[in-house]
Amino acid sequence: MALTEGPGLEAEPEEGWQYALERVGFVRRILRARRWYGADWWFVAISTVMVVGFIILGLFPGVFAPYSAEQRVGPRFLAPGADPDVTILIAVTGSGIVDLEDLAQESGRPPIGVVRGVPTADSLRQQAQVIDDRLRGDDGGLRLRPNIVRFDTQEETLQAVANGEVLAAVLQSSEYDALKDQFPTLEVGNSVTGEAASQGGFILGTNQIGQDVLSRLIWGTRIALIIGFSASIFALVIGVPLGLIAGYTGGKLDRILTVVMDSLYAFPGLILAIAITAVLGPSVFNVIVAIAVLYIPTYYRIVRGQTLSVKEELYIEAARSLGAKGREVLRRYIYPNVIPSVAIIFSVNVADAILTGAGLSFLGLGLPPNTADWGIDVARGQEFIQTGWWLITFPGLAIMLIVLAFSMMGEGLMEIFNPKLRER
Amino acid sequence: MMADVLYSIRSLSVDYNTRVGAVKAVDHVSIDIHKGEILGLVGESGCGKSTLGKAIMRMITPPGHIVGGELSFEGRDLMTISEKEMRDVRGGRIGMVFQDPMTSLNPVQRVVEHLTETIQTHERKVSDSAARQRAATLVEKLGIRHDRLDDYPHQLSGGMRQRVMISLALALRAGLVIADEPTTSLDVIVEAKFLDLLRELRDEFDLTILLITHNIGVVAEVADRVAVMYAGRLVELGDVFDVFADPQHPYTKGLLRSVPNIQLDGAELYKMQGSPPNLLHPPSGCSFHPRCPAAMDICPRLGPDLLPVSGDHLAACWLYQQQPTLGKVG
Repeated sequence: MALTEGPGLEAEPEEGWQYALERVGFVRRILRARRWYGADWWFVAISTVMVVGFIILGLFPGVFAPYSAEQRVGPRFLAPGADPDVTILIAVTGSGIVDLEDLAQESGRPPIGVVRGVPTADSLRQQAQVIDDRLRGDDGGLRLRPNIVRFDTQEETLQAVANGEVLAAVLQSSEYDALKDQFPTLEVGNSVTGEAASQGGFILGTNQIGQDVLSRLIWGTRIALIIGFSASIFALVIGVPLGLIAGYTGGKLDRILTVVMDSLYAFPGLILAIAITAVLGPSVFNVIVAIAVLYIPTYYRIVRGQTLSVKEELYIEAARSLGAKGREVLRRYIYPNVIPSVAIIFSVNVADAILTGAGLSFLGLGLPPNTADWGIDVARGQEFIQTGWWLITFPGLAIMLIVLAFSMMGEGLMEIFNPKLRER
Repeated sequence: MMADVLYSIRSLSVDYNTRVGAVKAVDHVSIDIHKGEILGLVGESGCGKSTLGKAIMRMITPPGHIVGGELSFEGRDLMTISEKEMRDVRGGRIGMVFQDPMTSLNPVQRVVEHLTETIQTHERKVSDSAARQRAATLVEKLGIRHDRLDDYPHQLSGGMRQRVMISLALALRAGLVIADEPTTSLDVIVEAKFLDLLRELRDEFDLTILLITHNIGVVAEVADRVAVMYAGRLVELGDVFDVFADPQHPYTKGLLRSVPNIQLDGAELYKMQGSPPNLLHPPSGCSFHPRCPAAMDICPRLGPDLLPVSGDHLAACWLYQQQPTLGKVG
């Protein structure tokens, strides 16, 4: 039987752009999305870059964060970009005195001015002792035993340096900055305490206990992603099979599951999560469980609805007419046809879970108190909003950006993979 | 023509339970499908012909259920075997081709996966490569190049998809193929080619085909015998030439007169009176009597049986049967 040779039997166009489009792979299809949705491709591009950026930050926070998230690394309430306040040496311009060491003499005690009643004199004495000990070991015969002269105000101290009454003064850099216009003949030397000068700036400032805001922000990405992804995966792993089974088998099981899921769904989300974490106690895992419970109904409802509609498709009946088992039909026919919509809600769901997680820690529930978490930072920073606006602004912005990125990516994926939208 | 009976249906009834009562979609239908024939089953929409096709494979799903009757295939009683054994029959010995080839293939599976999966479901020992080889040979026979096996269903044309569906039905060398409106969504050229293909496959694979359609032209072209269904019952059954040349039942007569004819000469097309009956409350007696031009006193009171009119030509109509003497209650 030579059916192949019958004219017209092979009525399929093998050329042309439609055919080419059908044949292109996944990556090229995304690239071509630009052609299909006009300006919307940048939507996908920007959100993808943001999501990837957040994921990289979350994976390697140690590489990007300048400081540890939990240690106090600087002065309190340092504004974004401001230099940290350090104890500095001030001397007459051209005197050659830059470091404390330059004041060392063979004999005698160089007079150094400080302000009465501040701890500067102590740190000066300690530092001088350190230098003196080192010099004594050398052969130069130099010693540093400063004669500390106390003045009542910063102005008097600086005046004394300008008049030559003392060789140098030791002040806080912010104090000197306020007065330096009055003393044009003076010059700033190096930091007296040494270690403060080696510290870089704090790009986003420091918080009320001297932790670096940027570092906490970067380390907070990790916890946000852990909560967002784990809770969503948890909810997916439970909600999808339940939805498949309920939709496919129907009957009493379906009715019971649907009632349970609908009552979970009807409960106000954050209140349910608060109740669960309050019962379970604070830990990252419990927060994940609480949020996952919140989102199980989302997956259940979508998967069940899709299963109900896919179940009625002719190819399901065709599969049964070929002797396929119920389990086989579910696994090979229904599940792959349902999963694309799950992938899309997953992305939006991660955003939602991060937001809920931040809400929980803002309320002081769930996470241990010193965790580097945006919600905790916002909660702790809110009482200092008048002193330091940067304490809550940057964690708040981070929450907004990560949620925006994930939901934008979800929407973008939906446009690319939903053939009904594609035809517009 | 006396042939072996491949599939025998005796007094089969199928009901659909609805909120307002049971719908009798198939009502005491008895028919023999002979080995090697193409049996055409015609009737208007909703007369129960697709339900009959599904009942033959025991694939009626709730709310429908088989109320009673006997199904026997190759001497086996299909009504009593377990669901597991029935699964082996489905696809293994009886295949089905559906109305809409556009939606009867899984959109997320490649063509070859459909075929290998079907083969391996029934013959577990077949290796992947052997199953693929068999799939390739099969589709080549049906006029699809084997390199199209790795395509997804949406990449094939309607006619090709329908041929894939047939190859699925034939993958296990089924004896009986039930084709439920296989050409409805195809254009006339592809339809004609498809019908040729059916005949050739019947000869080559020694197939028996039950062709369910509402298109009398299709039946006239390919069928050996034709069964006419109305409101869940068989009303006429016979050789395709006998039935078309000399229809007996008034419904068949009306049906044939309402087919447009190229030699119509401007005459107006015949219109059958009334509308199809509501199967929730079918008319009493012969369910065609409200529309029948030849209705008699007995018709609303008692339904006729399907009895021979001449030789193998059967009709269910009081016109050709001895009327029983009736008392006051019908």
